[in-house]
Amino acid sequence: MEKIFLYPSALFASRKPHQVTTILGSCVAICMWDKKNRIGGINHYMLPLWNGKGLASPKYGNIAVNKLLSKLENLGANKNDIIAKVFGGGEVISTQKSNMNIGERNIAVAKEILKEYKIPIISSSVGGKNGRKIIFYTESGDVMHRFIRNTKNG
Amino acid sequence: MKENHNISDELLIEELNKRLRGYKDALEKLNELNSQLVEVNKKLTESESLKSHFISNITNELVNPFASILGLSKSIIETSEKNPEKIKKMAFLIYQEAFSLDFQLKNIFAAAEIEAGEALPQISNVNIIELTSGLIENYYNESQQKQINIELIDNISNDNKTPFLFKTDSEKLTIVLSNLLSNAIKYTNKKGKIVIEIKQEDNMLHISVKDNGIGISQKDQKVIYDRFKRLDDGINSLNRGHGLGLSINKAYIDLLDGELLLESTEEKGSIFTVILPESDIESDDLSSEGNEIFFGNDELF
Repeated sequence: MEKIFLYPSALFASRKPHQVTTILGSCVAICMWDKKNRIGGINHYMLPLWNGKGLASPKYGNIAVNKLLSKLENLGANKNDIIAKVFGGGEVISTQKSNMNIGERNIAVAKEILKEYKIPIISSSVGGKNGRKIIFYTESGDVMHRFIRNTKNG
Repeated sequence: MKENHNISDELLIEELNKRLRGYKDALEKLNELNSQLVEVNKKLTESESLKSHFISNITNELVNPFASILGLSKSIIETSEKNPEKIKKMAFLIYQEAFSLDFQLKNIFAAAEIEAGEALPQISNVNIIELTSGLIENYYNESQQKQINIELIDNISNDNKTPFLFKTDSEKLTIVLSNLLSNAIKYTNKKGKIVIEIKQEDNMLHISVKDNGIGISQKDQKVIYDRFKRLDDGINSLNRGHGLGLSINKAYIDLLDGELLLESTEEKGSIFTVILPESDIESDDLSSEGNEIFFGNDELF
């Protein structure tokens, strides 16, 4: 199985089995998996919403969810068979002001948009003070998850 | 009884005032949020219209240079071999057109890659001085046309002959610096001066590109990183380009964990500084701590 490291602002989806690792701080990663076709994909966004500034990259939650979904659909996944797992959004940097809760806002965006698309979140590990390392298997949809300390803001 | 009633009246008024103030505060906050939303909405609409503007623009930007290249190469074929000077001149023009085309295409592909979430760092040991002086050479023709002098200040090479190597993504750094250098040449007046300074501070690589061109106003500094945004946009603009350069730079520098700083005064010039940390790509694996959790597909909550 090919191993991939997913960088922030990137996304990955494939029909072939891959093992995708990523490290999350306040960022959120959404793993999407089509349970019938066994096609999986994952994104890793840093900020909740694109507001027209800079490039419309998957650095932003609203862009990252749409792009991952359309990529999966291009690969042959069916929206009605897709389930989601949501990770990250920790407040790893404690000095932030209350209205700057990026982690929390990242989580909220994931929930809102997935609800809009009627994609069920079947499991999640979000919030808290720690960073996370997750490994996503695109073929089985499984996710290995581990808390880590002293992460950067990824 | 009467007094009691009076007091409660006062209390009532006080309470009402307090609530009124509360509503007022809430209303103010709501207005503030609303104006933020209006602003975002404006930006999004603007971005959309810039995008369609871009698509119509790009046709000209790509088709015109190709037309010149085709025309010029045809004339070369038809020119008699006894006129080498003429052939050389035309070949030079073809080179220029092809160079700018290549630069623009690289930027367009870079932007597409970033927006698709497929831009990944490819780290190698990069000879920064060699990379930068190579770039300056590439832009020699463009700078000479405006008689702009480009100076390279090297503060990282040691006296001993081993070259300074820095672990980063050379392709992305090349695009970032090309965009800065190309902009500096575009927006510097004739006979201007561009200084590229390279140094290392606290293990961070600093590359600054300083010009004495037209500068960027405080107001415009907020929008230069927006995609498709060009400050001299318009039919009469002398400069080519499509306004992708700085938004690509921002995204690439983000990817490399760096920072892009800007100091600029109108009519005096601008300094763009790229600050990059050295990549630690070998050590991206983390030690196990024994708190692994398995998220299979059966649990539902």
